[in-house]
Amino acid sequence: MTSRWSRALLNPVTLLALVVLLVLGVLVAAPLAGLIGATVPAGAGGTGTGTSWRDVLASPMSQNLFWTPLRNSILVALGTAVLSTVLGGFLAWVVVFSDIPGKRLIGVLATIPFALPSFALALAWTSVFRNDRVGGTPGLLGSLGIQVPDVLAWGAVPVTLTLVAHYFSLSFVIIAAALASLGGDLIAAAELTGASRLRVAVRIALPAVSPALLSSFLLAFAEGVSNFASPALLGLPVRFQTLSTRLYGAISTGDTERGYVLSILLVAVAAVVLYLGNRATRGRNFAVITGKSSRPRLVRLRAWRLPVLTLAWALIAATTLLPMAVLAMSTLTRRANSFDAGFTLHYWIGASDPGISHGMAGVLRDAALTTATGNTVALGACVALGAVLLGMLGAYVVRRHRGPFVTGGIGFLSYVPFLIPGIALGAAFIALFGSGAGPLPSLYGTFWILVLAGIAASIPYAFQTAKSSLGQVSYELEEAATLAGAGTGRRIGRILLPLSARGVVGGAMLVFVTVVRDLSLMVLLVTPATPLLAVQTFRYASEGFTQHANAVTLIIAAVSVTATILARRLQGARRPWNA
Amino acid sequence: MSARAAIPVLAAALPLTLVLSACSSAGAGTTGTDAAGHDTQRYDAMSHEELVAAAEEEGEVVVYSFTSRIATVAEEFRKEYPGIAITEHDIPSSEQIERLASEHAAGASTADVAYVSDAPVVVTQLIEEGVLLPYVPPRMDDVLPEEHKEPLVTNRLSTKVLMYNEEAHPDGAPVENLWELTSGAWEGRVVMVDPNGRGDYLDMVTEMVLRADEMDAAYQEWAGEPLQLDDGVENAGYQFLADLYANDVILVDSTDAVNEAVGATGQDNPPLGFTTYSDRRDNEDEGWALQVAGEVAPAPGIIFPAMLGVTADAQNPAAARLLIDFMMGDDSADGGPAYAPFYVPGDYPARSDLQDPEGALPREEFAAWPIDPEESAAVRGEVADFLLTIQ
Repeated sequence: MTSRWSRALLNPVTLLALVVLLVLGVLVAAPLAGLIGATVPAGAGGTGTGTSWRDVLASPMSQNLFWTPLRNSILVALGTAVLSTVLGGFLAWVVVFSDIPGKRLIGVLATIPFALPSFALALAWTSVFRNDRVGGTPGLLGSLGIQVPDVLAWGAVPVTLTLVAHYFSLSFVIIAAALASLGGDLIAAAELTGASRLRVAVRIALPAVSPALLSSFLLAFAEGVSNFASPALLGLPVRFQTLSTRLYGAISTGDTERGYVLSILLVAVAAVVLYLGNRATRGRNFAVITGKSSRPRLVRLRAWRLPVLTLAWALIAATTLLPMAVLAMSTLTRRANSFDAGFTLHYWIGASDPGISHGMAGVLRDAALTTATGNTVALGACVALGAVLLGMLGAYVVRRHRGPFVTGGIGFLSYVPFLIPGIALGAAFIALFGSGAGPLPSLYGTFWILVLAGIAASIPYAFQTAKSSLGQVSYELEEAATLAGAGTGRRIGRILLPLSARGVVGGAMLVFVTVVRDLSLMVLLVTPATPLLAVQTFRYASEGFTQHANAVTLIIAAVSVTATILARRLQGARRPWNA
Repeated sequence: MSARAAIPVLAAALPLTLVLSACSSAGAGTTGTDAAGHDTQRYDAMSHEELVAAAEEEGEVVVYSFTSRIATVAEEFRKEYPGIAITEHDIPSSEQIERLASEHAAGASTADVAYVSDAPVVVTQLIEEGVLLPYVPPRMDDVLPEEHKEPLVTNRLSTKVLMYNEEAHPDGAPVENLWELTSGAWEGRVVMVDPNGRGDYLDMVTEMVLRADEMDAAYQEWAGEPLQLDDGVENAGYQFLADLYANDVILVDSTDAVNEAVGATGQDNPPLGFTTYSDRRDNEDEGWALQVAGEVAPAPGIIFPAMLGVTADAQNPAAARLLIDFMMGDDSADGGPAYAPFYVPGDYPARSDLQDPEGALPREEFAAWPIDPEESAAVRGEVADFLLTIQ
């Protein structure tokens, strides 16, 4: 008996599974358990009243508090997931396989929307489509005398489309990495059969990257269902509420328990989607990296060249160039969101002037800015490193382990962190690391608790990208290495990691950008000693200093884009023949 | 698998463990001192000189603030007390409440002073739980009205009131009675932040319910006949909210969105909206024409406290009290430089001996309802629930 247990424990995969589960247990399961405990009455082992479940699910309020928002959330998230995957997939195909000019530039620009905060895309939308329902200054179309119907200005359509504009770039990064790993021989073989280019793309290339499509779908769904800024800005005026606006509403009006019940239900919805998604691809083999590597062949588009070129650039213009321009302009306008009052560089470089913004000097004069930028980059890099390691090991366990509870548990815990409200995650981290009681160190007030919280919040990107790129590596390669006497660590380090590097670097980039961009939970954990750019934006925005806030947002975008370009260099260095 | 095969796995897992735990030694390692009852009383009773001496002994103070104006206060504090290092940290009220409660429960290091809004939530989640303690500076005894000493000391009052566009309506507010907002003339032309998403707006609609008698009388005055309540509607306050929502009130996500909608110049038919009176000072800066509908019956909205409390686990109990004393302002008529960031037209000092800032209605002519945090806390949940049934 003892020997069987000790043998099982010494099995490297089992051991690794234990380590991964332990880390995920602390970072994700513990906060989740705290969330559930807060909604269970004290008599039943919790710390709450327990009445919130009935309020949400079976009371006169349920319709407006839960059921309608649930329908809206699913609508928005499905729309976001499908459209993001389709558009991201299209652009990835264009950049990896087509011969259109400027595709390198498209490749860089397509990653920018993810680096922009979602409110910037919502802002860009209103600057064009805002109608007179709310009052104030109309958008571009309105000022040209065009009546914009409510359905285009507010509600489900703009919320979904602005989320797509944000998250298709996530899909692009994941799918492009997978497509670039497709060998040319596969495509060439298909072309030899006389199949058309479109047919090859749709029937051969896309199915071969199914794991990446699934990862992209799952991540965009979770993002769509948890995003708060877009529905708050564009949905509320027509009373379009989602689960996320309802749950943040409940928390910020002091009804934390009700908010937590809503977020548990959100986690349940996500778990169902995850289960269905995994079931759809279960038992199929998507290995395309087999040892016989060949260069991907470019597809000559000929007559299709112009339409594809136009479509790709239109997409880039609408989702990258326009929002960036709106954001940049808004830091230069004398008055927030109005071009009539003239332009100024004051909000960037101006000295304190009591007549403007209550005497707040330009952002570049803020001494804390350099420190905040440094901290932000350091935090992003540490979190990216930690999350990718954890994600990689988790994905490896899921690939090799046979136990459904272990693989299911890792898959679930690596998927749901988006759906735990930042305020709950932050509170759980204070409870876990606040005083150093028990086995956990007292990290509260240090930089490292921010790193841990960042890893917890961004593990979905790391895990999904690692899983999707490992899925492409043939088992035969690993088996051959085993026969040659290579142990698990050597196989991971010498075979799996190099062959999936493209996807893993993409994942690291996504993690970095998320951490740098906005992490609302940081406000709960950050100390004055570690200022961060995202917290700085909040500081300006909360006092109504729109231009200052947007200027810092642009700096954040610049940091993210720099990281993106560096990451692409790194990917390119591994596979120099790819764009 | 052999034991040897496990070693490389451990090696692979090692960097992870390193990232996660190696820096545990960097932990702050400070433990909360328990401010026992007699301690608190001792500090509360100290004279100003004793407090300064004890605070300089402590040498530092940490404050959480819901407004970034705390940065200016901190600069002034450094000038006045160079021997006490002040660390300011701005966190919005909801996050601050959660953070203070979690830190208290975990025994983690925390702030000494909390400057916080959302009074009804503070009452139920922080004061009743013993997370925040009141401190009334002795020199405030005579000049601070009783209602601003409890449950915590209030240093200033802010507002959520009905405002209009004075460019479009140069002769004064286009409405005289709140009930006009439920009439066809203002259908889809009233803007406010969703009370189901923002505490101060929930406080405002809660006050309408608490003042149901006044709402009832105002209806009679406007309609010339008694108000008929709908089935299941308890009082005139709830009826007003039901009628307002049925009249397509526009909900948005921030006060800035209300200001922009109501205040933007160049509009033919601007909406009315509930927002912050003191935002009017940004009119010139932002291109707005916001003005308060101060005469509207029965009241234009609410006036509510921003409060200062000492944390139960304060490391620097004397410096905490000194900072609260400092933030109440000095003896000049406008509270001096320490109070300057809060001395703006449309906000009101809690102290009765300070003059109201110029450029806004004097407090006695401004009919906004002062809220009672405890009473409000008792019914705001019901009001939030009611709103969820009428949308």
